[in-house]
Amino acid sequence: MMTDLSSALMICLPELILAVGAMLVLMLGAFGGERSTGAATMFSGAALIAGAFAAALGPHGTLFAGAFHMDQLAAYSKVAIYVASAFAVVMGYGWMNRSNERKFEYPVLILLATLGMSMMVSAGDLISLYISIELQSLALYILAAFQRDDARASEAGLKYFVLGALSSGILLYGISLVYGFAGSMGFTQIAHAIAAGGANHGVVFGLVFLICGVAFKASAAPFHMWTPDVYEGAPTPVVAFVAAAPKLAAMVLFVRTLSMGFFGAHEQWAQVLLVIAVISFVVGAFGGLMQRDVKRLLAYSSIANIGYALLGIAAGTQLGVQAMLVFMVLYMIDVTGFFACLLALARNGRPITQISDLSGLKGSKPGIALAITALSLSVLGMPPFSGFWAKFYVFKSAFDAGLWQIAIAGLVASVVAAFYYLRMIKIMWFDASPAPVDGSPSEARWIAFACALFSFPVVLIALHFLDQSAGLAAASLGLH
Amino acid sequence: MPLTAIAFYLLAIVTVVSGFMVITARNPVHSVLYLILCFFSGAGLFVLLGAEFLAMLLVVVYVGAVAVLFLFVVMMLDVDFARLREGYAQYLPLGLVVAAVLLGEMVTVSSAVANRGAAAANATPQAADLHVSNTQSIGQVLYTDYIYFFQAAGIVLLIAMIGAIVLTLRHKPSVRRQKIHEQVGRRRRDAVEVTKVGVGEGISE
Amino acid sequence: MSPQTLVTILVFAPLLGAIVAGLFGRRIGHVPSMAVTTGLLFLSCLIAWINFVANFNGAPKFLVELLPFIQIGDFQSTWSIRVDTLSSVMLVVVTSVSALVHLYSWGYMAEDDSKPRFFAYLSLFTFAMLALVTANDFMQLFFGWEGVGLASYLLIGFWFKKPTANAAAIKAFVVNRVGDFGFALGIMTVFWMFHTIRFDQLFPLIPSMLNKGWDFAGQHWSALDLAGALLFVGAMGKSAQFFLHTWLPDAMEGPTPVSALIHAATMVTAGVYMVCLLSPIYEHAPVARDIVIMIGAITSLFAATVGLAQNDIKRVIAYSTCSQLGYMFIAAGVGAYQAGMFHLFTHAFFKALLFLGAGSVIHAMHHEQDMRAMGALRKKIPVTWAVMMIGTIAITGLGIPEIMGHGLGFAGFYSKDGILEAAYKAGLSNPTANFGFLVGLAVAGLTAFYSWRLIFMTFEGKPKWGAHPHDDHAGHHAQIESHSEPDTHGHDDHGHGHGHTPHESPWVMLVPLLVLSVGAIAAGFVFAPYFIGEDHDAFWRGAIFVSANNHVLNEMELPAWVTWSPLAVSVLGLLVACYFYLLKPELPPRIAAQKGPIWTFLYNKWFFDEIYDFIFVKGAKLLGDLFWKVGDQKLIDGLGPNGFARASLEGGKRVAKVQTGYVYHYAFVMLLGVLGLLSYGIWLAS
Repeated sequence: MMTDLSSALMICLPELILAVGAMLVLMLGAFGGERSTGAATMFSGAALIAGAFAAALGPHGTLFAGAFHMDQLAAYSKVAIYVASAFAVVMGYGWMNRSNERKFEYPVLILLATLGMSMMVSAGDLISLYISIELQSLALYILAAFQRDDARASEAGLKYFVLGALSSGILLYGISLVYGFAGSMGFTQIAHAIAAGGANHGVVFGLVFLICGVAFKASAAPFHMWTPDVYEGAPTPVVAFVAAAPKLAAMVLFVRTLSMGFFGAHEQWAQVLLVIAVISFVVGAFGGLMQRDVKRLLAYSSIANIGYALLGIAAGTQLGVQAMLVFMVLYMIDVTGFFACLLALARNGRPITQISDLSGLKGSKPGIALAITALSLSVLGMPPFSGFWAKFYVFKSAFDAGLWQIAIAGLVASVVAAFYYLRMIKIMWFDASPAPVDGSPSEARWIAFACALFSFPVVLIALHFLDQSAGLAAASLGLH
Repeated sequence: MPLTAIAFYLLAIVTVVSGFMVITARNPVHSVLYLILCFFSGAGLFVLLGAEFLAMLLVVVYVGAVAVLFLFVVMMLDVDFARLREGYAQYLPLGLVVAAVLLGEMVTVSSAVANRGAAAANATPQAADLHVSNTQSIGQVLYTDYIYFFQAAGIVLLIAMIGAIVLTLRHKPSVRRQKIHEQVGRRRRDAVEVTKVGVGEGISE
Repeated sequence: MSPQTLVTILVFAPLLGAIVAGLFGRRIGHVPSMAVTTGLLFLSCLIAWINFVANFNGAPKFLVELLPFIQIGDFQSTWSIRVDTLSSVMLVVVTSVSALVHLYSWGYMAEDDSKPRFFAYLSLFTFAMLALVTANDFMQLFFGWEGVGLASYLLIGFWFKKPTANAAAIKAFVVNRVGDFGFALGIMTVFWMFHTIRFDQLFPLIPSMLNKGWDFAGQHWSALDLAGALLFVGAMGKSAQFFLHTWLPDAMEGPTPVSALIHAATMVTAGVYMVCLLSPIYEHAPVARDIVIMIGAITSLFAATVGLAQNDIKRVIAYSTCSQLGYMFIAAGVGAYQAGMFHLFTHAFFKALLFLGAGSVIHAMHHEQDMRAMGALRKKIPVTWAVMMIGTIAITGLGIPEIMGHGLGFAGFYSKDGILEAAYKAGLSNPTANFGFLVGLAVAGLTAFYSWRLIFMTFEGKPKWGAHPHDDHAGHHAQIESHSEPDTHGHDDHGHGHGHTPHESPWVMLVPLLVLSVGAIAAGFVFAPYFIGEDHDAFWRGAIFVSANNHVLNEMELPAWVTWSPLAVSVLGLLVACYFYLLKPELPPRIAAQKGPIWTFLYNKWFFDEIYDFIFVKGAKLLGDLFWKVGDQKLIDGLGPNGFARASLEGGKRVAKVQTGYVYHYAFVMLLGVLGLLSYGIWLAS
């Protein structure tokens, strides 16, 4: 039943690297104390990069009776997730240094959360789906409350945890119903059962619960309520992490579950996903209008963007999945850059969080202002920035799948959402500066610049390769 | 009616009723006690299914550890439950509607499935191997077939541990701690000094 | 050098001058940039005359193709230089006047600080005009057309610190847009009909399109007539014909050399040139030609009558220009294109002379333009007086017919008589041409009156410039919106004010005047036989197409009264002017003071500006306000962007309100979501 052990270990080598790496870092930190935080950070970054290489170059295959899939889709997502996590590790280290709160647990938790995401994108049955989600979520709950002396961070962590527990309950309920009706946990067996028995009430019933549970992790509306509060309260590098990699992991998990296990019920889940998508981008677009806090604003932005990405999944075609993968990676880069910009900005030692605090940034920090401008234009979908291509792919796949009404609604929502990005740009470039800002830390600045440069013009070159690898990844699901 | 059926219905009714009581009891301590009752009857159901190991686990872990922990927490925390219940009546109608709709849907689906036959009907559950005990069969698969899940669950617990430490452990500088190796390693010359004191002089230091 | 190279140099020398003076003028200084532009213009002028003489001696016409411009399917346009008799004449006119104006400006603009800019504009204008006259297709024609329009705009508004100059520049530009619209439509019609815009391909095709047209409203409309009429709308704009004439008098806000070059001698004649160039179309478009005659006649009459009552010396000449352009169109309309071109040719000399002379007067009077403040200048500025006399004799067409074969007179005599005779001949078969003839005759008298009036008021009578000259006409400021060019530039040598004695202009200004005087005297006498006389076929050599039944230029016995009447009315005008302004100089101010209806009508230029202001400016503003305030702000903005934005903000507030911060609210929303989706999913499954 099992391939031989050595090849099995090679197939899950990225996860092994992360798990073993996390424990080594934990040991290092436990014995070295606070002083070893730098070493722990470096080691964690190295582990993530090594994991990325292992995922990109390692063998593919299916392990543990179908519970673990290593294919192009998993490899693509893992590389993206690991790289994003490595950025989060670097940003978090700089942030802890500045707030004099060096904790080696930060990189450990990032590693473990990444391990969870890595397992999510490889999950091939409902148990591994649930355990990997819990693995990832638990680490994120802790990270959100990491600044334990900060009331808002604690509140954020608690809310995230309580609502996450509720969503886990919903998810588990769905899983148990699906198991009850399909008689198995494995996606392939479920697909067989649906093919034999049809997409009956029972399957749909369980599936809807399942979708709701995963939608919470992806912060899709109406399961998005935690997002603004957590984004606002949690430490900025943590939010940078939460906003990027876990979203991709959740979306890939969505795609794999729905396409591999439940494609027989595509008609039903596509409709459900479309409803979620529409609510998401409407809430994301309109909710952001009244926000004063940059991080809350980005929370609504992420809700809206998840809505757009869901369109690609709902299309149910290989092109749709490909579009979603391209979209998510481009969005991750944008959002990482955004938070790096925020990390780079402080006034009198206090980080800048209000949109109004950005006023006059062009005078005091022209580079960062330019980066935020580029990233804003990108996220709002202005050609030729990367966000435009991302949206273009997704909307095109939605149009091709005949979802043109929804796609038009999405376009309208993105026009509404354009307001808050443009307002940010306006405040930065045209309003007067209230007071000088502090010098920005180099690592955040460089990440911000790199992401901004990627959004334009590097994307024009990178898009070709990204598109190609996303195409290969999407092909591994066997859709057409 | 066979004995197992009587036992099943009895245990099932107790489980549901006690579950209901958990959320309706006014006193939180009573809630926890109802929860323990619920676990016990659940364990009984497991026994009826022939899963005696799970039944024991439920009693030992959930009743013995988790529920008792809950009990302590509830009794130690000074939670103003009256205040928590504010607005209960206000949200009750809407909550009832939601619950009623949900229940209706469940019933519909269940009956539909029961009438037409579930997909589960196609999948035949494997009969238990009579020659190996329940405990033994779990042991056989836990580290082989389910090694992946087992390890992953282990990491989940590791995270929980790290989290508990990160969020709660504080090194307070004001607290004096016993440092045994320093106490043991103390020499006489580190602690005592003999000085000559001249007549009419004090020791100034 | 081959003639091809020479004409290429001819066309591009002014452009080079414009670039040098315009881009590097500040760096190389005033005198070098003036010298470069003027020198290059004289080079062009020299080549133009060489080319003209060669053409005169029978050199074949040719075409220099320089570069492809726009080539899409049938729409083939090439930058090219077309040289035939028609363009050779225009090259001579344009470069000669331009070169002299450049020279004249050395003196006239001596006190200005922006001389390089001025000379650059002048040269740029010359280049655009040369591109226009040498065009071999409609596209280049249009390019030159717009190029001269641009240069005209820049030069009218040269003193851009003066609000009236800016307003005049904008007016000229906008009015010309109206004409250009018709012109563009005409080009489109031609292209649509013939699938080509090249003249050499187009003209042979025209006979095949004679009967093409549309039946509309029970009438057959000839396509050629339509094209001709539309193209003529363009000519009306550029040549300041009736309805689109309003910009020309205002254009006098520009420096006087500009008025001489652009608004008298060259640019405004572009319309006439175009009609003559397109003679193959107009020869087959009788309706369009009748329109040309009517507009031309009305313009000449209108402008002449308005000219009677004006007091600004430049405006009088401007209306005179307008009127003479009407003459040219009458000529073209009756089929005497050669006569039109001839009048264009002679008019360029004497009108440039008059303008530059007026400039000299203005210069002498320290930038005073009101003729009522002048008088008795003959003794003070005798050279200017002499050349102005020559110009006036030329424009009034004084001359004795029927001696020495063609009669004897100054330039205007030959061309004007030629036009009137042609109109008479055409009038034998065409009543519209008859109308043209009669109007032309009447206008000859009016021309004589206002031209001599100008001379008498300026040079004769009592001097009115000793005391403060503004006292006696303080009430008339409204009419002459701005009768003085700004003297912000330093008057080092003669200071400000009006109390100074008039002085003769420097030689650098007088030389061009003398050269032009020679043209004004002799151009008619020398060239009449070739342009309109018995040698005209050999001269034009097919550059102008004349259909087989067009005999207006052929020798024909005319009744004596036709030959003599122009002289008679001209002398009559002279005598009336003598009476009013020499014998009884107190009479005209009294008439003006009475403000009789006719005087008011003429004085206010037939109220054209007021009517246009009421209909177009106010109407457009009203319409614009309607669209802006109701259509745009209320409907489109109100329901569209603003309404949407308001709704969006409302929606945003709603969404933000749901976000209470209470965990149980969040959980409840989640449960509602589950419930809703579940119901939807189950509904879908059943």
